[in-house]
Amino acid sequence: MKHFKGLAYPYVAWSFALIVLPLLLIVLYAVTAGDNSLVTIHFTLDNFRKIGDPVYLNVFAKSLEIGLIVTGVCLLMAYPLAYIISWFSDEVQGILILTVTIPMWINTLLRTYAWISLLSDNGLISQFLTKLGLEAPTMMYTNFAVIIGLVCDLLPFMVIPIHTSLTKMDYSLVEAAKDLGANNFQTFRKIILKLSLPGIINGVTLVFLCSISSFVVPVLLGGRQYMLIGNLIENQFISIGDWNFGSAISVLLAIAILLMMSLMRRIDPEEKGEA
Amino acid sequence: MRHGKISIGPKLYIALCFVFFYLPIAVTMFFSFNSSKSLTHFTGFSAQWYEKLIHDQNILAAVYVSISIAIFATIASTVLGTITAIGLSKSRRLLKEALLNINNVPIMNPDIVTAISLMILFTSAGLQRGYVTMLLAHIAFCTPFVITSVYPKVRSMDQNLADVAMDLGATPFQALTKVVVPLLRPGIFAGMLLAFTMSLDDFVVSYFVTGNGVANISILVYNMTKRINPTINALSTLLILAVVIVMVGMYIWPSVREKLRKKTRAGGRTLRRGRRGRKAFAAAGFCCMIAIAVIFASQFSAISGKQTLRVFNSGEYIDMDLVSQFEEEYNCEVVYETYDSNESMYTKLQSGSTYDILVPSDYMIERLISEEYLHQIEWNYIKNKDAIIPKLVEDNLYDPGSRYSVPYYWGNVGILYNKNIVDKKDLEAGWEVLRNTKYKGQVYMYDSERDSFMVALKALGYSMNTKDKGELQEAYEWLINQSETMDPVYVGDDVMDNMISGNKAMAVVYSGDAAYVINENEDMDYYVPEEGTNQWYDAMVITKYCRNTELAHQFINYFLNEDVAIQNTEYIGYDSAVKSVYEYFRDVEYKGNTGCAPASDNPRNEVFHQQEQKVKVYMSNLWTKVKSHQ
Repeated sequence: MKHFKGLAYPYVAWSFALIVLPLLLIVLYAVTAGDNSLVTIHFTLDNFRKIGDPVYLNVFAKSLEIGLIVTGVCLLMAYPLAYIISWFSDEVQGILILTVTIPMWINTLLRTYAWISLLSDNGLISQFLTKLGLEAPTMMYTNFAVIIGLVCDLLPFMVIPIHTSLTKMDYSLVEAAKDLGANNFQTFRKIILKLSLPGIINGVTLVFLCSISSFVVPVLLGGRQYMLIGNLIENQFISIGDWNFGSAISVLLAIAILLMMSLMRRIDPEEKGEA
Repeated sequence: MRHGKISIGPKLYIALCFVFFYLPIAVTMFFSFNSSKSLTHFTGFSAQWYEKLIHDQNILAAVYVSISIAIFATIASTVLGTITAIGLSKSRRLLKEALLNINNVPIMNPDIVTAISLMILFTSAGLQRGYVTMLLAHIAFCTPFVITSVYPKVRSMDQNLADVAMDLGATPFQALTKVVVPLLRPGIFAGMLLAFTMSLDDFVVSYFVTGNGVANISILVYNMTKRINPTINALSTLLILAVVIVMVGMYIWPSVREKLRKKTRAGGRTLRRGRRGRKAFAAAGFCCMIAIAVIFASQFSAISGKQTLRVFNSGEYIDMDLVSQFEEEYNCEVVYETYDSNESMYTKLQSGSTYDILVPSDYMIERLISEEYLHQIEWNYIKNKDAIIPKLVEDNLYDPGSRYSVPYYWGNVGILYNKNIVDKKDLEAGWEVLRNTKYKGQVYMYDSERDSFMVALKALGYSMNTKDKGELQEAYEWLINQSETMDPVYVGDDVMDNMISGNKAMAVVYSGDAAYVINENEDMDYYVPEEGTNQWYDAMVITKYCRNTELAHQFINYFLNEDVAIQNTEYIGYDSAVKSVYEYFRDVEYKGNTGCAPASDNPRNEVFHQQEQKVKVYMSNLWTKVKSHQ
């Protein structure tokens, strides 16, 4: 196998050029002022200071809020789903999991686009409610629409890891607990939930990560006033053209995410076991 | 997990969850057969959108880009990721850990950070953005996934096997391909599948790193939200069917084979047949993909070699059929790309993309002129010059003497309102009607900082070109107050669909968009406040980077041709710069439509001028505050 040592070298060069270098460039943009030329570079922390403005802090807070809500809703919906799926025979489980994954293969934008016709003011859901004699609430361009869109998009990312850890679980432990006199609830809480924790952590991290930085779903379902971090960054780069400020926000976002990930890893019992 | 009989409750829960997953997909499929454009009312069965789909070059090109990039990126990242994972297992500890950590960065980093970091890289490196940059970016974010799925398999593999093979006389390459790679197959396959899915579904990274008219399906859909286009539903339905067939096929195939093997007891023979069957299946799939790629590629190679023209225009601002006609008539290829605002167009130019023709608005033209970005128009090439409304060329405020621009469409900004809900008398208040609490929750504001500040500044009686921070501050407070008392929704071009469906009573819109909406929904009417408004002009310009100025002039001239302009105006709905066409729509086609040809003689109307960078950033920040105020 020693002959293959050299096989990793191409990726060393590749990852430097397409992962490390771009990140260094963002950092460089984040700590410099706008009117740079190659000769004069003005280092400044103004871009980071600007983030302290209550408006931008609000955007961060709102992203965090949406991220937490979406993660919570996904967890509450996905856990029972994954749990029930794991009750079926292997063959049926396979089909059910396939049914969960198929939507992931369909372009996210196309699915979000479909939600618009469902949620809009004279859309299908409100037509349906009106027919039932109920008053249809405004759903489009609200928190509700954004959360629905994100949950629908990200739910599979929660279901699959939880399901995997549930099926990997040693079922004799559950039987042992029952033999020892634990009731159903106790067995669930002390055995099943604990053993599926790695899956939960995986799912929570994935969903939280994706929801906090998403920007297409908020634009399409939340309207332009719906500013999350992703939209703020896009705005700075695409419409306003302040790349330095946009980079500063990105750097901060990346740092925050990396910190959270390492925190999550610390809770994960599997990772601990390996270390 | 073993479980006895499963009661109805849990089953119902699964069913409900699947309804939630598949509702949007079902709606998409259902409305792809609608006979009208509506996505909310089914009016009858028709296959017209499928027919349109087959003839829509843009969509076909996007499908080609999406699929070919996904295939190439998957192949490249699988090879790169697999050899890296194998090599890493034998590398020194320090290198291994460093590389694995770096490898984790793109997986954990938010997409948007990866996207802009790559965009900055390509821009700094001076790379022409387009297909190649998109492919590089996709390989960059797919490879880490392959490494993370293959690496654990390498670690758990019996490391001696390769050495044994080599002791027995295999070359290192043979040991790799005949022993190591087959052992890693499950990991490689999982990584490959992941890479393919990620690449096919990607929007964010592609959106930032692409250029020169190269768009994948996601980008195309994102740019299409301006007007309902059920063709995209037809496309989605076909894609969904393809995915379902492939997935189900992949799932069912092994179990069918298993059953076959069980039935015929001669295990050895069927095993071989089974393996051959799988190989045949994989080969057939691969051939299909190649065939698709070749078919699409042949379509494109047919046009290469001709002269090309790179046009960068606002979304939905030209009838693409006319562009195809131009291509045929002048035996050339038009590389067409769209943007969603003047500002984003300018950012694209700044980041190094080059085009031959742009279609910016007045103040942006002024800016491009002052930054010496434009090529002078050679008016003797514009044979249809005399067809243009003389006033547009002579009294040109943004480009005095019309040296750099040829008028395309023009209009103003006003209030589109529902006649059945809004009282005519209330409109007399002018722009202030947008703060009339009687219509709380009934207002769409347009997400354009300059136009929104125009509304507030005009309502306060100031010039919309003011640089005075006090006046801007007052306008900001007006908008904040409106946001608090009226609960307006700030929308982009989706305002048109919303107003056609009659979702709210009032909206700030461009006159041409108003004309389009009024044409579709006769409850709507258009009103321009007496306090004055933004009188805007969009014009075609040629950039100094233009490679073929003769063709560029021919293109501009072509769209001034009367028949062409009529067809184009029918599609766009704005007021044409061609005099006879303008009059035809005003007096015949759109007669009585108040969004068409609104009075432009109010002395209080103004044209936007270029803003100093300082004022622009100041206003942008205020506008961000207004939007995120709620």
